[in-house]
Amino acid sequence: MTLIATEELRSMKIFRLAGLALALVVALLFAVFVGDQGPWYFAWVIGTVMIVLISGAGAVLLDAQEDGVANTEKLS
Amino acid sequence: MDFINPQVVDLSRLQFALTALYHFMFVPLTLGLTFMLAAMETVYVVTGRKIYRDMAQFWGKLFGINFAIGVATGLTMEFEFGTNWSMYSHFFGDMFGTPLAIEGLMAFFMESTFVGLMFFGWDRLSKPGHLAITYLVALGSNLSALWILIANAGMNVPEGAHFDADTMRMQFDSFVHVVFSQDAQAKFVHTSVAGYVAASMFVMGISAFYLLRGQHRELAARSFRMAALFGIISSVAVITLGDVLGRMDYEKQPTKIAAIEGLWHTTKPPYEPWILAALPDDEKQVNHFEINIPYVLTPLITHSFNQPVIGMYELEEQAGPRIRSGIIALTALRRYGETHDKADLNLFNAHQDDMGFGFLATRHAPNQDVTNIPADQLDAVVKQTQPDILPNVFVTFWSFRFMVFLGGYFFAIFAVAALLSLKNRLEANPWLLKATMWSIPLPILATEFGWITAEAGRQPWTVFNKLPTFLSASGHSTGYMVFSLAGFALLYSVFIAAELYLMFRFARLGPEEHGTHHDETDALLSHFHGSHA
Amino acid sequence: METYALLKLIWTGILGVLFIGLGTMVGMDMGVGTLLRFVGRNDGERRTALNIIGPHWDGNQVWFILGGGAIFAAFPTLYGTSFSVFYVVMILLLFSMILRPVAFEYRSKADSRHWRASWDVTFLISGFVPMFVYGAAFGNILEGVGYHFTWTGQYVQDESFLSYLINPFAILCGLMSVALSVQQGGAMLMLRSENPIYGRARAYGSLGGFVAAALFVIGGFWIAHVPGFVLTSLSDPAMPANPLHGQTAAIRPGAWLGNYYAHPVLWLLPVLGTVCMVGEALLLRANRPALGWWLGVGAWAGTITTVGAAMFPFLMPSTTAPDQSITVWNGTGSLYGLSCMLVVAVIFVPIILSYTSWCYHVMRGRVRVQDVMNDSHSY
Repeated sequence: MTLIATEELRSMKIFRLAGLALALVVALLFAVFVGDQGPWYFAWVIGTVMIVLISGAGAVLLDAQEDGVANTEKLS
Repeated sequence: MDFINPQVVDLSRLQFALTALYHFMFVPLTLGLTFMLAAMETVYVVTGRKIYRDMAQFWGKLFGINFAIGVATGLTMEFEFGTNWSMYSHFFGDMFGTPLAIEGLMAFFMESTFVGLMFFGWDRLSKPGHLAITYLVALGSNLSALWILIANAGMNVPEGAHFDADTMRMQFDSFVHVVFSQDAQAKFVHTSVAGYVAASMFVMGISAFYLLRGQHRELAARSFRMAALFGIISSVAVITLGDVLGRMDYEKQPTKIAAIEGLWHTTKPPYEPWILAALPDDEKQVNHFEINIPYVLTPLITHSFNQPVIGMYELEEQAGPRIRSGIIALTALRRYGETHDKADLNLFNAHQDDMGFGFLATRHAPNQDVTNIPADQLDAVVKQTQPDILPNVFVTFWSFRFMVFLGGYFFAIFAVAALLSLKNRLEANPWLLKATMWSIPLPILATEFGWITAEAGRQPWTVFNKLPTFLSASGHSTGYMVFSLAGFALLYSVFIAAELYLMFRFARLGPEEHGTHHDETDALLSHFHGSHA
Repeated sequence: METYALLKLIWTGILGVLFIGLGTMVGMDMGVGTLLRFVGRNDGERRTALNIIGPHWDGNQVWFILGGGAIFAAFPTLYGTSFSVFYVVMILLLFSMILRPVAFEYRSKADSRHWRASWDVTFLISGFVPMFVYGAAFGNILEGVGYHFTWTGQYVQDESFLSYLINPFAILCGLMSVALSVQQGGAMLMLRSENPIYGRARAYGSLGGFVAAALFVIGGFWIAHVPGFVLTSLSDPAMPANPLHGQTAAIRPGAWLGNYYAHPVLWLLPVLGTVCMVGEALLLRANRPALGWWLGVGAWAGTITTVGAAMFPFLMPSTTAPDQSITVWNGTGSLYGLSCMLVVAVIFVPIILSYTSWCYHVMRGRVRVQDVMNDSHSY
């Protein structure tokens, strides 16, 4: 029973790795081709990712700021 | 001779413009809000804090109300190309239809399918799984915009297709040219990012409303912070791409840029002022008064200090020979259609770049037949046609200015909002909160002005320099148009009333902190999610 | 055969499949709309009927919209001309496609009797009218439409739609289309409902089948006397697609049967259609709705292919300028355009099919659970 389970787990892992590798290859091809043919499209992709990350970071910063305020209040 | 009733052309234009502008009241929010939902959910998945899930779900609800009508009203334009613009469809459909069809296959289906899963799949998918779905919805709706703007860029800068004398239409010849045309790229990024701005303002404004009333502070402060950062970067991107588009119009659509800037005469660099405000007179071809800033125009448009921008008066002069050449092209083309004689084809090919200008002369030719203009009337016909190459300057000039002024305002307000939010000093500045709240509709207004600039500035063509608008319409009676316009007015008024009612209701209701109205909102959403078609 | 001619034929085949799919799937939903007030005598029954097609109707509509886009790309001239010739029909179809979602959403949102009754009438109208005009438009096309092209490719309508949309033959075709949709809607209702809806759906559905079969046969005899079109010369099937030259055509009484006399095997198509219609009606009577539903697909396939075989290669013949009739050979996009669209379709249709079925898989059982838990998700 356990043997089958680990087997399954291993094959799952391989699938996942293969999927990841495939995604990477596709991303690379996309970057090379679109970066060459359509620089603005490429900029859009990179820019959107950047916007999403920065606004997310801003929210996390707010969490940290509020936690900081709460901590100083506790200390004093 | 068969020709189209000008009244029908005008009504067809009115109908298309109104239905398209109506559709685009809903699109920008969809484009931006989806990525903002994805950003919120990303933070949720990374930090595991439940507040971000609440945020994604609350804003997702408002998104859902908006999404349904956006999709439903998009169908109208696809139909209208066939019903109202038959000559255009025949002439340009071989190339133009392809991006529209791909939009359906690649994007429309994707967003419609996954949006249901996004709303109802929270408990059925793993956290990263649901996040992936949210990203797919965002990607799908933006891909949808991509293909539509590729098609639209084809109308403005026809690339990837050539006119073919045997089929009497533009034949599609290069997929890569169509997809990667400079115009399509810049238009897509400009429009998509304008959607980000609209969504940022929407989230910021409603969050400001809660902050002002001291409600849902945890959710509102975080949403405000994210939206402000989202908005400030997006508004910079919108302005950058706007500049790229202006430069592209300067190269590819000189009549549009001249009308946008109200330039009746070719500029003399480097002094040339940029006109801040003026009253352009289309009849007399002058600006009645001008407020301007010296030295700005040349670097702004040409990105240089010595290149001139050609004025409308000179463009009209240059059009004279092209109209003559176009008339020769059409006469040869018609003969070729009857005789299939190589000599006629060669003559046509020599003049085929000007064919569109020949079409433009149709309106002024005797019996509306450009191929039989008596020699003594040719000069008069050309002279009458020349002013027709210009778009309506007043509309183009002012819609552009409204868009630009609003864009500058967004940049300023986002900058202040981001700064105050980062310093956690929002509540100390209620004036800013009030200003953002009242600014919610402005980005949508700005995108509408953007469309008016781009498409009114494209006139008198549907396919730039190839096919005039007045020849593109279907030739039916005014009665048909009255029937369909009345129907649209009725249906669309009901829609907007329902949408606004629901938006205000759910925005007032706020996020569910006590779970009391959970069922009600869910039920409403399920109905809206069911309506994408 | 040359590639271009082959592509023209392939896209004509896809056009046919789209018409069959539209008739079967969207027709089924519209049939339920038409039947709503007849199979449901009270509010609960009507809501049940609506919820039977609730999970599927919008997917069906999305496919139809995709089809519209593909036709635009593959048959630009046909798209521009036919949508414009049938302006009022197409606008009504469009309104019903926008209105039906709203009707689905709002009908059960308020308790007022008048409110619900008016939405029920909306369902009746937005189910009956589009199916009727769908059939009538086919009837009109069989009779020929008055239009011609000027030398620039601009099409000109030679008669107002009022003069041809409604005439005896078109009414017959329209009613037949409604009957088929009622039959298919009835079969769907039977599949998912219990008495008393079941019994009523059975009665209306099988009646629809018999009526459709009778009208189909009458139409078949009638068509022998309707002036048909025949292609008298064609320069080359792979010719540049341009309705202005390259072919000549003539109008002759009974010409629509020409293809059948030339290739008697084609007679199997109308036979298939009739057998399926009658067969479905009998199966519904015999309480076998699942098999009946599939015969309904055959009924639509039989009908559309019968019309297609009669008309081939005509797509929309012109009475006033027969030479300029839009045919398979002159109405398509360019070689490059058709190949491009085919490649795109071959790539994306399997992708769409796989992720939509995955979504169905993830959301399986949703309706059933919520039906039990509470009713707030239902239409």
